Amino acid sequence: MRLQLSPEDIAFRDAARAWLLDNKPATRAPEDGSESRAFALDWLAKLYDGGWGGLAWPKDYGGQGLPPARLLLWYEEYVRARAPSTLDCSFVALNHAGPTLIACGTEAQKATHLPRILKGQSIWCQGFSEPGAGSDLASLRTTGRVEGDMLIVNGQKIWSSYADIADFQELLIRTEPGSKRHKGLSWVICDMSLPGITIRPIRNMAGATHFAEVFYDDVRIPLTQVVGGLHDGWTTAMTTLGFERRTAAMALQLDLSVQVEDLIDLARPTPGSAMAERLSDLRAEAAAIRAMTYRVALREPATPFDGSLVRLSFAELEQRIRRAAMDILGPAALVHSGRVADYLESYSETIAGGTAEIQRNIIGERILGLPREARP
Amino acid sequence: MTLDLTLTEELRQVLDAAQQMLDTHYPVSRLREGAADPMAPLAEFGTFLLGFPEDAGGAGLGRVEEAQLHSLLGRHLVSPSAVAVSIAARIALGAEDVDLALAIAGGEVAVCAGVTTPDGPLLIDAGGAAHAVLRDGATLSLVPLAGLATEDAPMMGHGRALARVTSALPAGPEALPEVALLHDLLVSAQLLGVAEAARDLAVDYARTREQFGRPIGAFQAIKHHGANMALGAEMLSAQLDMAALTLDARAPDAGFQVAALARLAPRIALENARLGIQVHGGIGFSAEADAQLYLKQAHLLRALLGPHDMLSFDAPMAPTGKAPS
Repeated sequence: MRLQLSPEDIAFRDAARAWLLDNKPATRAPEDGSESRAFALDWLAKLYDGGWGGLAWPKDYGGQGLPPARLLLWYEEYVRARAPSTLDCSFVALNHAGPTLIACGTEAQKATHLPRILKGQSIWCQGFSEPGAGSDLASLRTTGRVEGDMLIVNGQKIWSSYADIADFQELLIRTEPGSKRHKGLSWVICDMSLPGITIRPIRNMAGATHFAEVFYDDVRIPLTQVVGGLHDGWTTAMTTLGFERRTAAMALQLDLSVQVEDLIDLARPTPGSAMAERLSDLRAEAAAIRAMTYRVALREPATPFDGSLVRLSFAELEQRIRRAAMDILGPAALVHSGRVADYLESYSETIAGGTAEIQRNIIGERILGLPREARP
Repeated sequence: MTLDLTLTEELRQVLDAAQQMLDTHYPVSRLREGAADPMAPLAEFGTFLLGFPEDAGGAGLGRVEEAQLHSLLGRHLVSPSAVAVSIAARIALGAEDVDLALAIAGGEVAVCAGVTTPDGPLLIDAGGAAHAVLRDGATLSLVPLAGLATEDAPMMGHGRALARVTSALPAGPEALPEVALLHDLLVSAQLLGVAEAARDLAVDYARTREQFGRPIGAFQAIKHHGANMALGAEMLSAQLDMAALTLDARAPDAGFQVAALARLAPRIALENARLGIQVHGGIGFSAEADAQLYLKQAHLLRALLGPHDMLSFDAPMAPTGKAPS
């Protein structure tokens, strides 16, 4: 075990810091809608043109294939510079859809989509959850009927983030009639401009419109858009790449440390006060999240569950940090602001992408080896 | 690689050998007998010379290795004398008393841990000790015990042997700042061991104990206690590595990292010990089960940590750019 920067590491870090400080947007990302899309795509294009695009992606697919140590240095500088949150409308494309195409896509699918994602030319959303399939994703019922070389899709998805401004959707549907649970599903690239798609944006509790319901009424998707095997979509959906597991949440996790510094600056607590104690705890916990992020990035061999513990710790700490900001602001927090939006948005951290309760089940069963609950 | 957190094969071998030594000489069941822990098996293993420079007769290993070893000691609830010996040898070395340092590390001169209280200093497992490493607020010093008057005091829940010093304590050499940081690193490492062992004991029990016709670990309430114990232990374990690595690298943020570690360690160890007792139910509340031992050890180790003003340090992740408007 070693943590010592080489002269090359330091040169890389300094170059990253200088570029980020010169180029990061001075304004906060717009809350939602087409302005937020334009902002995210502009920033991605700027990163790409500046030579800082696709750092984690493999070289064969237009990325730079940087090792995890370099990515840590990059993302530390990224969050310290207060560059835009990576959890914006570009997140699914860069951290989920793109890596899934790299792992399971055809050459044609990769050639069409990967360059556009990297250059900041397309936004993706996820179409997994349904009104009746939340934590229990395998009970999903949206169907895709095979008809010649087409899939005819009918049904409904929900909580699809940025569906209203996305170009494509990673859509998980039941393609084998009569199939149950994880069997008979397919992972499909859905062009959001196809006839028969209706999008109903849903305002979230922060007052922003990030997610939406999507209705499919005889939507015709060519079978060439299936990623991985037809009827084998669960395998595709569960495929995650090493670089994806290690890097998707890196910036978000490291950013907690910056958020705490921001709070200390905001509160300037009296030594020994209750707020000083509380901020001391938050500072220590954010430091530990950073240490966990280092561990996931820098310890070999990586294992499939490496990220589960840090992910949940991160989500719950983020909520405590955002809440502390409200307590520091006092009655001034009643007026909507960026901090208030961040606070309200943080309630999604323990719900989206697997609730904290489901994650604790996974930790208990797959990491600790406790017996499974009775399930259908 | 200059940034690498993979456990080296060399360290893995050291830890495997240490595990064998601990299983042989310090099984947790020994604590039911109530005898004080001998330090000789640890000294023979080289525990106290592990981090000594090679030119002073040590193995020249780093803080990372020493911390990992002490986390194993923590799992076995070894007497805090072990940390005291490790640190006493460093304090003696810092005071340029190489003979004393080697005699302490070699196990020839016994040392115990102590902490001041409003009612006078308390010594832990002091039988036969010639010196104590005394925690007095921010100060950590090596004090000679010869000729001092003491009286026995019952430890919390009638655990280890405590002695209260009733005469004036002489002064002794103070730990250098880096040695004081190492002390809190090793105490925290032992607290990690306590947190991990409490987790493992609870998980084993939850896998085998049946109620309502199934192992209690299948119930979400118990499973989530286990998950919370795993989360705490992982957080602490990662921060331990970070603190040890920054100490080894003499990085400017070493003080910050140890402070964060020392803030988290007692809280997580106490919480895991609490949950461990809870998962065991009735037997967990009894003195016949081991679950309660982890709680008492966590309290004991916590008392040895120094104060760290977490907000007084420069942060390694201080923002470089302005927040967007």
